[in-house]
Amino acid sequence: MKDLLRILVSPVIWLASFSAIYALHGLVCAVDPGMPGPGIAWPRLVLSLAFGLAILVQIGLLALLASARFGAAPGFVRFVSLAGGWVGLVATVWTLIPTLATTPCG
Amino acid sequence: MSSLARHRGLTAIWSSERGWKGWFSTVNHNDVGLMFLVTASFYFLVGGILAMLIRAQLATPHSAFAGPEIYSQIFTMHGTIMMFLFAIPMIEGLAIYLLPKMLGTRDLAYPRLTAYGFWCYFFGGAMLLISLLFGIAPDGGWFMYPPLTGKIYSPGINTDFWLIGITFVEISAICAAVEFTVTILKYRAPGMTLGKMPIFAWYMLVVSLMILTGFPPLILGSILLELERAFGMPFFQVELGGDSLLWQHLFWLFGHPEVYIIFLPAAGVVSTILPVMSSTTLLGYRWVVAAAVALAILSFGLWVHHMFTTGIPHMGLAFFSAASTLVAVPTAVQVFAWIGTMWKGTPHLRLPMLHILGFFVTFVIGGLTGVMVAVVPFDWQVHDTAFVTAHLHYVLFGGFVFPVLAGIYYWLPLVTGNRRFFRLGEMAFALIFVGFHVTFLAMHWVGLMGQRRRISTYAPEDGWTAINLISSVGGFVMAFGLAMVLIEIVLTLVVRHRAPRNPWRSGTLEWAVPRPSAAYTFASLPRVASRDPLWDDPGLPARIARGEGYLGEPRNGWRETLMVDIASGEPEQHVVYPSNTRLPIVLSAITGLFFLSLLVKVYWLTPIAVAGVVALAWRWIWRLGSKADLGDQPIGHGVRIATVAEVDRPPGWWGSVFLLVANATLFGSLLFGYAFLWTIAPGWPPPAFIQPSVPVLIAAPAGAALALVGALGAVRINRTGGNPSGFLLTALAGGICLSAAFAGLLWGAPSPTGHAYGATVWVLGCYGLAHALLVGLMASFVFARQRAGFVSPRRRAELAIVSVWGAYLLVVTCLIVLAVYLPGLVT
Repeated sequence: MKDLLRILVSPVIWLASFSAIYALHGLVCAVDPGMPGPGIAWPRLVLSLAFGLAILVQIGLLALLASARFGAAPGFVRFVSLAGGWVGLVATVWTLIPTLATTPCG
Repeated sequence: MSSLARHRGLTAIWSSERGWKGWFSTVNHNDVGLMFLVTASFYFLVGGILAMLIRAQLATPHSAFAGPEIYSQIFTMHGTIMMFLFAIPMIEGLAIYLLPKMLGTRDLAYPRLTAYGFWCYFFGGAMLLISLLFGIAPDGGWFMYPPLTGKIYSPGINTDFWLIGITFVEISAICAAVEFTVTILKYRAPGMTLGKMPIFAWYMLVVSLMILTGFPPLILGSILLELERAFGMPFFQVELGGDSLLWQHLFWLFGHPEVYIIFLPAAGVVSTILPVMSSTTLLGYRWVVAAAVALAILSFGLWVHHMFTTGIPHMGLAFFSAASTLVAVPTAVQVFAWIGTMWKGTPHLRLPMLHILGFFVTFVIGGLTGVMVAVVPFDWQVHDTAFVTAHLHYVLFGGFVFPVLAGIYYWLPLVTGNRRFFRLGEMAFALIFVGFHVTFLAMHWVGLMGQRRRISTYAPEDGWTAINLISSVGGFVMAFGLAMVLIEIVLTLVVRHRAPRNPWRSGTLEWAVPRPSAAYTFASLPRVASRDPLWDDPGLPARIARGEGYLGEPRNGWRETLMVDIASGEPEQHVVYPSNTRLPIVLSAITGLFFLSLLVKVYWLTPIAVAGVVALAWRWIWRLGSKADLGDQPIGHGVRIATVAEVDRPPGWWGSVFLLVANATLFGSLLFGYAFLWTIAPGWPPPAFIQPSVPVLIAAPAGAALALVGALGAVRINRTGGNPSGFLLTALAGGICLSAAFAGLLWGAPSPTGHAYGATVWVLGCYGLAHALLVGLMASFVFARQRAGFVSPRRRAELAIVSVWGAYLLVVTCLIVLAVYLPGLVT
């Protein structure tokens, strides 16, 4: 069961963070006070921080999957779980980059 | 023992009842798999006839072939049948029939559940078919958007047939998904590690997990819409705090992964057949597994791309546009692996290979138009046009039907024992391929010219006449091709042209069994050392037949097999399956009675049906187990292992874990719906939030904790030789206390018909109440089993299962109490 979890964890965490940031986007736009933030609008600040956190989590997961302590033994499961780790990281960067690039609440 | 004596002994144990009665009592995967395949093929025929009616209607302008009401039923039922009654059951049938053979085991994890799933599919499908015959079929489109499908605009019974019939059929898919997941992880040939599994098993594992997490949102959506239609609970009515967009979210949370649920098993078929047709191994097995996993999970992040025209903010559009383009990467990894496999090997242009090439061409075109509609401005232009209809047919026909046809021709010798004689298949392939592309290339074109989907007619001055006529001619050519395939299959069944064992020289284990397969599948269970055991040892089938594997000696009339460790594949538990029984068909008929009572609104029958289901489920489980400790059992080669009743994690524990994954997804979808309405629906906040009730706040978590403590305590004291009765009664008391708490919550809840908030609170409360009653029932059951002598310090498996459900109950209770009372506390 641990091997299955190793394979699935990073993409599943991507899915969770992607859905959470989409929900957060709805929430911050619904309650946006309209006040200027510290050099950046509040919605974008919150969403960008969440984006950064999601990337950090994925990097941490990848490091764990590559480590001797938490990663799988060399072989098939290790390869697939590391590939999953990279999928999670790339997907996080690619799918959530709009938090930096597009209008938050337009 | 000679091979013949072994064959006779095992056949006597594993065979179904003789004659027609056997079809109603069989639980053998060989029978049930074929029953699924035949029924799904029948529905393909029905769906195909409906497609021809659509094309007949659209062949000419101002067509009087069918009026708009009937036409709406035809296209709705075409989509519904193809998606729910053909594609998914076809996959289930194929996997039920093939997986045990490929994995080197004798049956799936829960044979009676396999049969129950089939009969739910059979009765649920029949319900929809009857509606079609009586002209009261669903007519709101296969994705059933409210408000069109709400009571105001669809007052008849048509929509109810869809909501209730499809939910009934989906029980079958959930059963199959639990079954496949546990089978693939735990029921394999000794030595078959995860890295040595056949690639088809990997795809089915991924797809099963997708079904467990993809189907519950639709089940929830169907329940909510039916509650709105039947009882006026306004989840989708804007004026009462609901939102019709909630349906779109719930539907597409299912609907987009559904496309991959259909495609991935077909990709598994391609990944299995292509290397054999190329006389080599699959290039990049590890990459393909990683790509399948990635594709499966990424597909859950795309649902909003079906809703680009609903007024979503820019950033939301950009999220889902980016995710939609990303899925092209793992898809491409698989396509390049297949191309590389052909490059590495020596492709032979035999009939299955023709269909695989047809798949390549068609699916790649469908994938590319998919990337086109992932681009938001383009999607806005073609949304709801025939272009999208054409795109989805390229993906689904190209990505599913061509591989399935390849699979049919590839495994036909295994199923029938015969090989083709008349060679109609090549001509059939040509007709299907040409007919398909003529039909749907033209449909892309007419869609770009502005023809909306689902229109029943058009005017000559629209300029679509010639294209539609071409499209219709193509459709009929394709139908001729498919009819030829059907004729050839029937001819192969009846014309005895004996196929050799392993006619394609494949390396996977399904070709090591007799053809057609014996009831017991494997005379003994082989030890596996690579992904292609038949290439390693061509003499393996003979050694299996001689009983040189595990469990080679029939004994005690037991249907035996092994469970293995997930990672190492080493034998872990000894399994004795239940034998033939009519319980599955009776239980599914009573389940059907429950759904029927809701459909025809005879509500006094509903609790009777529920009681019937509970009584039969009780009987179902009561038949398992033993009143004596069996001890470790010999399985051959000097190995002895424990039986499943004498371990901490029996098959029921594994099944519960994965069923709870589906259950948790349904619950999570409900919480998502609650949050969505709260933040997005215009009629919020409601007039008043429910005020916290102190007795409920205390009794609910306390009852749930008591149920869990009782269940865990029973496990612990039983292990040390003590009597678990006291703890089981504690768990029962916890369940009763919690049921009372949820009843109190519902008593104090606002009217479920006044506002979507009240309706949501009611559904949350009912969900909690149902689970509290269920855990109470489970505790009562194990208490009765313990009193009857089925539980001992060694026979402890049943206690562990109650603990898992108890833990789940505690978590959902806390979340429900929080979700219901928190708004009242903070406002």
